[in-house]
Amino acid sequence: MPLTLMRVGDTACVTRVTGKDHVRSRLAELGFTPGSEMKMVAKRGDDVIVSIKESRIALNRDMASRIMI
Amino acid sequence: MTTIALAGNPNSGKTTMFNDITGSSQYVGNWPGVTVEKKEGRLKGNKDIVIQDLPGIYSLSPYSPEEAVARNYLFNERPDLVIDIVDASNIERNLYLTSQLLEADLPMAVALNMIDAAKKRNIKIDANRLGELLGCPVIETSAIKSQGTREAVARAIELASSGDRAKPPVFSDGLERVLREISDLIRDAVGDGNLRWYAIQVFERDAEAAKTLKLSADIAGEIEKRIAAFEAEADDDSESIVTNERYLFVEKLVSETVVFDTNEKLTPSDKIDRIVTNRILALPIFLAVMFLVYFLSISTVGTLLTDWVNDVLFGEWVPGVVKSALVAIGCADWLQRLILDGIVAGVGAVLGFVPQMMVLFLCLAFLEDCGYMARIAFIMDRIFRRFGLSGKSFIPILIGTGCGVPGIMASRTIESDADRRMTVITTTFIPCGAKLPIIALISGALFSNSALIGYSAYVAGIAAIIVSGIVLKKTKLFAGEASPFVMELPAYHLPTVKGVLVHMWDRAKAFIKKAGTIILLATIGVWFLSSFDWHLRMTATEDSILADIGRAIAPVFSPLGWGEWKAAVAAITGLIAKENVVGTFGILYGYEEVAETGVEYWGQLQAAFTKLAGYSLLIFNLLCAPCFAAIGAVRREMMSAKWTWFAIGYQTALAYAASLMIYQFGSLFSGGGFTAGTAVACVLLALLLFLLFKRPYRAKIEARAGDPRRIDAV
Repeated sequence: MPLTLMRVGDTACVTRVTGKDHVRSRLAELGFTPGSEMKMVAKRGDDVIVSIKESRIALNRDMASRIMI
Repeated sequence: MTTIALAGNPNSGKTTMFNDITGSSQYVGNWPGVTVEKKEGRLKGNKDIVIQDLPGIYSLSPYSPEEAVARNYLFNERPDLVIDIVDASNIERNLYLTSQLLEADLPMAVALNMIDAAKKRNIKIDANRLGELLGCPVIETSAIKSQGTREAVARAIELASSGDRAKPPVFSDGLERVLREISDLIRDAVGDGNLRWYAIQVFERDAEAAKTLKLSADIAGEIEKRIAAFEAEADDDSESIVTNERYLFVEKLVSETVVFDTNEKLTPSDKIDRIVTNRILALPIFLAVMFLVYFLSISTVGTLLTDWVNDVLFGEWVPGVVKSALVAIGCADWLQRLILDGIVAGVGAVLGFVPQMMVLFLCLAFLEDCGYMARIAFIMDRIFRRFGLSGKSFIPILIGTGCGVPGIMASRTIESDADRRMTVITTTFIPCGAKLPIIALISGALFSNSALIGYSAYVAGIAAIIVSGIVLKKTKLFAGEASPFVMELPAYHLPTVKGVLVHMWDRAKAFIKKAGTIILLATIGVWFLSSFDWHLRMTATEDSILADIGRAIAPVFSPLGWGEWKAAVAAITGLIAKENVVGTFGILYGYEEVAETGVEYWGQLQAAFTKLAGYSLLIFNLLCAPCFAAIGAVRREMMSAKWTWFAIGYQTALAYAASLMIYQFGSLFSGGGFTAGTAVACVLLALLLFLLFKRPYRAKIEARAGDPRRIDAV
């Protein structure tokens, strides 16, 4: 399921990042690679702030819905 | 001479390190992307060593202009050595860039920065072991406390003389095999270049590397076959394969050298984020913060200071002292008038405004330094997206309320070209500090100081941004979705007094310098042109050269309601610097000293302008092409004369259309009757509505979005 379905405080591992364009590479560089653990810090609708690899990343819905857990 | 480049992730403390080892005071902010250009300095105590501060980057793939700046510098200009600044409290993500820097084939040292923050969070790092695994010295530093930085530089310099190079990471056997095959195929094309790096770039299908190598079609085809085969085998695309392998390398490093505190609770930053980005509270908190900023700088503290400077310093002291000094030395009459009517009046009006701007800059600096600015971008993204802009466009606009120049420069963190160009074009619609005197003049002279005029100026600025977002996004030039929002949010911290003051001074300094240079010259120019006729005889303002020029231009503005030559001249001098508008009126109405609100000639303005014409004048000056300094910034960011002219043309056309509609519809509704001007306004309104509601441009969007790599910087 996509990251947007996580609740605040949940932790989960990235299983897959969909898409093929450079957005995907961007996410990978920021640490969203399969197997990485992340925690949902805050949500604003489907816009999310997650903490991954010790940093806090804000993603809007388009980005968040491409990350599968 | 030795050149050391500082490279690292955004917000890892590069600029703090740079300031510490060079003794300079570059601005350090707390949002990703503060350093957008590389900065050069000399090592404190050894001027032969040049330090280059590169923009913060997550990787060396050229996705955003900052990354291209850093990458071009490292691979084309070749510094003598690199200090890689790694944020120890966020080590895994930071080591990703390290894994790429290791491939640059340069001597490299790693500064494990913010080591104190890591220790506070119980993260234990074995620096020696990490150094062994990376094959380069690793030094623990805390740049903010100036610990370890000297040692890091010393070790790096030692390394450069020894000639030791960092060793690139070794990937899995399969990937290494393909990379070897590619290396063999491109060996001749690379020559004495960095073979391993090129092999990886070619494997990732990097367009720029392919362009540099000029591979023959045969070889390119052969390489593509191998990449495709490997992709099929790994069921992933080549770029992701490399990214994953890099993280595997990093994970191995981390597992051997770092111990994390497993029962770490919510960090304070997480707790603050839960509240300030909360669905319900986020907007009210943001509005309250903004209200406080403008309450402090515009309504209370800033105004008190500015009033004092205007009324006491430039109102009584300076003109009095200057006048008696001029009389005492028996200065010629014309020179006395130049100094008093021209320079003191014009420059004084600008300087009087500086305290207010300082308070505004101080507040903005605080917002940037504490970490809230990045959250604002996140909060505003939802709203801005509807108008075709991303939340990242909001930071430039917010900084633009102080001054458009740093605002325009802050747009560089926006990844997509179209979004960035649009932000550059629209940022100066928001009233900057220098436009506040114009607002004060019009609201004071014609609207009995109604605060509504000030608010309406901001509303007009925001409306212009929104309308432009919608309209431009539907054209072929800007078509496509706003780029998805992704931004690292820095940890909150209490800014240091020194940091905030340095930042404020950095920006305020520019204004004061401007008052002493360009505005001074412009004032002298305006005074000269308004005091002499074509035969260079001193004359009344009404018969001056400037009056003739003004009368020639004025008809252009009569449909806007202010086809009066003084206003036309003021609008033109506003291009030099917006502060000039009020000062120019002052000189033209013949006053020795003018407060920043121009209170002395309110009476004359009331006689010359109706409320409607005055408001139209205000809106035109707020929205039209910005001052020269900002146009220069637009030129730098657009990196194209064509786009710069487009920006200026668009802004001025929009300003003209908006003012015309305001004046013509205003006249109509206040009983002026339907005139030719009203007809033009109707046509403009219809055109605007058409542009707002027409179908967006769609063709070829696929091709644009499908182009994965943009390399347009530098």
